[in-house]
Amino acid sequence: MSDSEARNFQYLAYGLIACWVILVAYVLTLAARGKRLGRQLENVQRMMEDREGK
Amino acid sequence: MAFIRQMLTVAAKDLRSEVRTKEAINASLSFALVILLLFSFAFDPTSETTREIAGGLLWLAFAFAGVLVLNRSFARELPNDCLDMLNASPVPGAALFLGKALANYVLLLGIELVCLPVFGVFYNVTWYRHLGELVLVLLLATWGVTVVGTVFSALTVNLRLREIMLPMLMYPVLIPCLMAAMRLSTVLIGGEPITGDDVAWLRLLIGFDIIFTSLAVVLIDTVLIG
Amino acid sequence: MGMREKVMVVLGAVAAMLLTRNIWVMLTQLPDEAFQGAIFRIIFFHVPAAFTCFLCFFLALVAGIVYLAKKSLQWDAFAVSVTEVGLAFGAINLISGMIWARIIWGIWWTWDWRLTSMLVCWLLYAGYLVLRRAVEETTERARLGAVMLILNFSVVPFVFFSIKWFRTQHPQPVLFGEGKMDGIYREMLYGNWVPLLMIAAVLVLLRMKQENQQREIDALRRAAHSF
Repeated sequence: MSDSEARNFQYLAYGLIACWVILVAYVLTLAARGKRLGRQLENVQRMMEDREGK
Repeated sequence: MAFIRQMLTVAAKDLRSEVRTKEAINASLSFALVILLLFSFAFDPTSETTREIAGGLLWLAFAFAGVLVLNRSFARELPNDCLDMLNASPVPGAALFLGKALANYVLLLGIELVCLPVFGVFYNVTWYRHLGELVLVLLLATWGVTVVGTVFSALTVNLRLREIMLPMLMYPVLIPCLMAAMRLSTVLIGGEPITGDDVAWLRLLIGFDIIFTSLAVVLIDTVLIG
Repeated sequence: MGMREKVMVVLGAVAAMLLTRNIWVMLTQLPDEAFQGAIFRIIFFHVPAAFTCFLCFFLALVAGIVYLAKKSLQWDAFAVSVTEVGLAFGAINLISGMIWARIIWGIWWTWDWRLTSMLVCWLLYAGYLVLRRAVEETTERARLGAVMLILNFSVVPFVFFSIKWFRTQHPQPVLFGEGKMDGIYREMLYGNWVPLLMIAAVLVLLRMKQENQQREIDALRRAAHSF
């Protein structure tokens, strides 16, 4: 395999990896948002219980 | 008929208050001149290089300066709940919008009128060789900038960071309009008439103006009242 | 597990299977393209990503119009979800294109009309997300967002035509000949679009669920405050 062919393959790998990295990054932002939502829900529930306790 | 009268009343009101306070026009005009000055450091300001990029320079200056005018257009109505009063008045949203757009149009054209000769003197360019066509391009492209800018001005009026949001949202939408204006102005200032392929740019400008004016008139009630 | 979750899991699983098969076929079965060598395989992700991106933007326009007609916040949730997913696929399109261009044209970026138009569209829709962040109140956010989606989509054809005209009047790098693509390649191109669409659908469903949850939580919080 010549140098240019090797470089060709290397960049193909970069390209495919980049596609997946972008998707995974988006999924990670979704996960972070999910976690934040869970925290908010807990807070609200606690707040509701406090109010009802009074 | 009543519609046109209401529209003109709104435009006259805006222009009168602008002429009396000069809050936007002064800032905008001096900003445009500063930009024109700064461009002279960005490249070698000989008349040949300038002629090649004249349209780009001018329209960047106009677009940057225009934002200052457009920003004030609806924001001016915020103190004392004037915007709510306007919405509650019998003036329809479309007339309010077109009136404000008309006032902005006059102000932007005024700024351009001052900037063009200054540009010609600074950069040693005879820009008036095809004056009629240049005026046509200015009128069409400025209307495009005005109508899109006024819609976004209404859209962002209640937001935090209004001053930053408006240019950020407005410029990408204006790209086709500005591109046509830059291209045509460069040709005309370079001393050539609009021929051949460049006629397509003129058509694009007209299409842009028509489509966005109608969209704005249809959508403005949704933006202002909901 | 609800109906929606089941659909998501099934879609995701089928997409994963199809993708594994496609990548395997792509790397081992398909011959190298005569002029470009191995790198041409990026096109099987690059082009379907662009298709997906514009499909998402179109759906966002539909969602915006339906929201204005019906004032149902479901459609607003759909609009923001498809826009976000569309932006993700737009980014895939841009980045993979840049990596391809580095090999074929020897540069990362050129102001070719396709690249420029894609970038402008990406910025337009990124602006929509920025606008949403700046508006506090839910229905106002949905309303202004819907208006912006309509304005954005109306400018997309202008962007494409104008940038094409602008660029064809200027020198540009010579592109690969726009001949017919070979049958097997075209089959793979569309074959790979299917799993990408499935992934997009799963992501949209996930994002919509979150948007709806967010709204419920906000409503609960308001209720708690008003006790």
